[in-house]
Amino acid sequence: MTKGFKSRVTRKYIGTYRPKIDGWEKASGRAKYVDDLTLKSKFPGMLYAKVLRSPHPHAKIKRVDTSKAEALPGVKAVITYRDPEVASLRPTHQAWTDGADPPTTYDRMWWPKYRDRRVLSDHVCWVGDEAGVAVAAESEEIAEEALKLIEVEWEALPFVLDLEEAMKPGAPIIHPEIVPDSNVLPPDPSGGPDVVVERGDVEREFAKADVVVEARTRYHNPTHALMENWCCLVEWNDDKLTVWSNAYEAHQTSMHFSEMLGVPLNKVRAICPYIGAQMGRADEGEQMFFLFTALLAKKTGRPVKFKHSRREAFHNTRTAQLGYCKIGAKKDGTITAIHLRLTGDSGAYMGHTMASLKITQPTYIQSCLFNVLSLKLEAYAVYTNKVPSGIMRGIGHVQTNFIMGLAIDMLAEKLGMDPIELVLKNFGWAPLPNKSLESVLREGAKRIGWERRRKPGEGPTYEGAKRRGIGFSFHNNWHASWQELRRGPVQVVVRVNCDGTVNLEAPTVETGTGSNTCCVLACAEALGVNAKDVHWTSTVDTETCVKDQVQTDSAVSHIFPEIIHIAALDAKRQLLELAAPELGVTPEELEIEDGRIYIKSAPKKGILLKDLLSGRGLGPILSSASKTLPSEITGVPYVAAFVEVEVDTETGQVKVLKMVVVHDLGTVMFPSGAEGQQVGGQCLSLGETLTEEIIYDEETGIPLNFNLINYKVPMMPDFPDIEPVIMEVWKGAGEYGACGMGESVLSCTPRAVANAVYNAIGLRIDDLPITPDKVLKALGKI
Amino acid sequence: MLPDRKEGEFHKIKIKVNGTVYEFVVDYDIKPWHTLAYVLREKLGLTGLKTGCDEGACGACTVIMDGKAVLSCMTLAVEADGGEILTIEGLSAKDPVIQAFAEQCEPGYGTAMQCGYCTPGFVMASKALLSENPNPTVEEIKEALSGNICRCGCYPAIVKAVLHAAERMRGEVRR
Repeated sequence: MTKGFKSRVTRKYIGTYRPKIDGWEKASGRAKYVDDLTLKSKFPGMLYAKVLRSPHPHAKIKRVDTSKAEALPGVKAVITYRDPEVASLRPTHQAWTDGADPPTTYDRMWWPKYRDRRVLSDHVCWVGDEAGVAVAAESEEIAEEALKLIEVEWEALPFVLDLEEAMKPGAPIIHPEIVPDSNVLPPDPSGGPDVVVERGDVEREFAKADVVVEARTRYHNPTHALMENWCCLVEWNDDKLTVWSNAYEAHQTSMHFSEMLGVPLNKVRAICPYIGAQMGRADEGEQMFFLFTALLAKKTGRPVKFKHSRREAFHNTRTAQLGYCKIGAKKDGTITAIHLRLTGDSGAYMGHTMASLKITQPTYIQSCLFNVLSLKLEAYAVYTNKVPSGIMRGIGHVQTNFIMGLAIDMLAEKLGMDPIELVLKNFGWAPLPNKSLESVLREGAKRIGWERRRKPGEGPTYEGAKRRGIGFSFHNNWHASWQELRRGPVQVVVRVNCDGTVNLEAPTVETGTGSNTCCVLACAEALGVNAKDVHWTSTVDTETCVKDQVQTDSAVSHIFPEIIHIAALDAKRQLLELAAPELGVTPEELEIEDGRIYIKSAPKKGILLKDLLSGRGLGPILSSASKTLPSEITGVPYVAAFVEVEVDTETGQVKVLKMVVVHDLGTVMFPSGAEGQQVGGQCLSLGETLTEEIIYDEETGIPLNFNLINYKVPMMPDFPDIEPVIMEVWKGAGEYGACGMGESVLSCTPRAVANAVYNAIGLRIDDLPITPDKVLKALGKI
Repeated sequence: MLPDRKEGEFHKIKIKVNGTVYEFVVDYDIKPWHTLAYVLREKLGLTGLKTGCDEGACGACTVIMDGKAVLSCMTLAVEADGGEILTIEGLSAKDPVIQAFAEQCEPGYGTAMQCGYCTPGFVMASKALLSENPNPTVEEIKEALSGNICRCGCYPAIVKAVLHAAERMRGEVRR
């Protein structure tokens, strides 16, 4: 294991290994989540909402009769798609989901063309789709019973599950209101044209190239499988709506209710406590259940709670994708042209599928393919009758890495070059070789023992049938400060109390990333107080706090600290100005450490903050900042994963023996949290690479494994030895110049594993997940 | 209480939870199909345990019943009649397992929790393990905790936390 990272700048708090600030609260079970805050005992008048779900992969409701359900004792309200207040809602599923982004309001939404989803629609597009009717009742059991009493006459429509089948002429059309004669989505102003990027002349370069390779991959649609299911409680009294939920941004949730239901922003109160992880799920923030729960609360005048069961939690996935990549190169390894084509499976609704296909690609092109002069990138999304796809941690990048990493590995083999040297010759932010990229690749190679790597299929064999191989993959890290400018002003408040303690208002929903610890450390660092004396509020409440930072883009851990640094320095200035006359010196001659102001030239002479502030009122020092992030374009740092696998050629089982995850982060804000991301992210990533897969019955379109028994999330015995390596090579703008990392910990894993499998057995399996049946098939054993 | 039944026809159950005995009348206070998880959370407000799946697949609802770790979502409340339940709320604030989970920051492993939703389940499963086996090996820890999911993937740090908790409980104090 690693001996631990040393920061290039020695600081007291930032860059130090330490416990999470919320460690005890969480370890002791005292941390409250939304389901804990909304018990019936706390809201005695509470009702429970349930929604009818489609048993068909594609169908229309011809007739619905809710009279028996309405007559059931304990049922307090039934709403259907025919009700005017439901029918008039114009959801987009893609509008103000991301508080980081400009489309905060309805008229500025993303994806204006793809308004393919309605609240309680009579048109259902996957098995499990929210259909037609929602009920509110005195208990969950009564609400469930009421759903069974609803009589629905369905018109089953032809359906299609397979992406390639869905693209063929004659396939059942899923959203004729969007495209009358095809399931392929049209270009949209937010996503851009189908050919996202075209420069140079790829065809001419392919014709001239010494070596050309063509790669094809198939990425599937894993799901977040977060431990905490969606849950909300809505209270709508008179003109005021209050919502408790596990959304990932409270102010954005307020905006959602305000825009959709016509309530002024100052009359929508959104409260978000700790949440049981995010991982992209909540980026699809415009969840329909928020709206029908609110309408039920309005209709009954009582608080209404809605939560997903584990089965219902399987409602959103990563975008399954067919990747195609052609690369042309000179004999010396200079890449002259790349043609990349991504075809995404949107599932039943568009969601943020286009973000995975188009919006995420420019950062990859800018920071990895900068030097490739002839480049063509096309991207298409296709409807199918499967769970809707959208945002999942590492959106777009994971799939792009999977296809690009294959093409690179194939090209290196054909050229007879070490793939690491091929990468350094061609990829990265100029000038090449990129220092950050080179650092992570060399370090990762050293730690995995890259020199042990043999030619494909020629690696060592153990116990007669187990073959070992080594693979790697690299990616750009994204979400440096210049990439986060769309957030607009970032707001924080620092209040120093009369006893010298500090309240830090840097509101953000704590999803587990450790960004709250980063915020507290940055405040303590700049102000000169002890980190244990800085209190950060865990519950975000739009009625009482400045705008919260949305937990997206893996970036809160560094964007808040940059602005906290400014506010805390201002608070420090105020403190030194107060102390100077007391100590008989100028403020410039003073410093603060551990809550004590002292004279730099005579450190023994000083005054404790609590003594300085005592008698000056209860909130003597207040400093706030509302500032945009540094905009200087500084490039990005890079990440890599190196993996050694063992493939059992008798059982087809792939076992990861060792994994090294290397990140350049600019500044490592909180090493314990950063390493936790590097190690922990592999639960999602190794799961989707090897074991997790949603399985459908092809005859009926019914998903078969919406539970945590048959949808196989890695558990403790499955987890390999993972070595996290954090580095500081690149630096962004600002005091810290750090870069987000929560998503990039995933981007390299599937490809690194797939390349290692190839290295072990000399056969390529580029269809995720890499399950034993595919391995045995490749080996010709089944 | 129940208009159609006379005294003596009520089925009462008694469950000792964190040292206090609670009495529930079946069909009135609780239903026969209510799980222990439901009763602990909804009736007693003990929200440390979480119902992550409600089908015994994730371990987030783990509590200790009569000394053994059980999945409270797979245990009916009536099955706990006469039993003794320990939930995470029943542990001392300075409990060595809680402390070890809270403080894990040994370089190379990350923290023992991120979102924290699964953590009470892991803590209780670890508590049960350590009460039976005060000096577990890494393999024994992995086996004992193999029914708990941490989607944030803190498994290696959790193993460390359990090892550290065991050291503390054996009196090998470490900082």
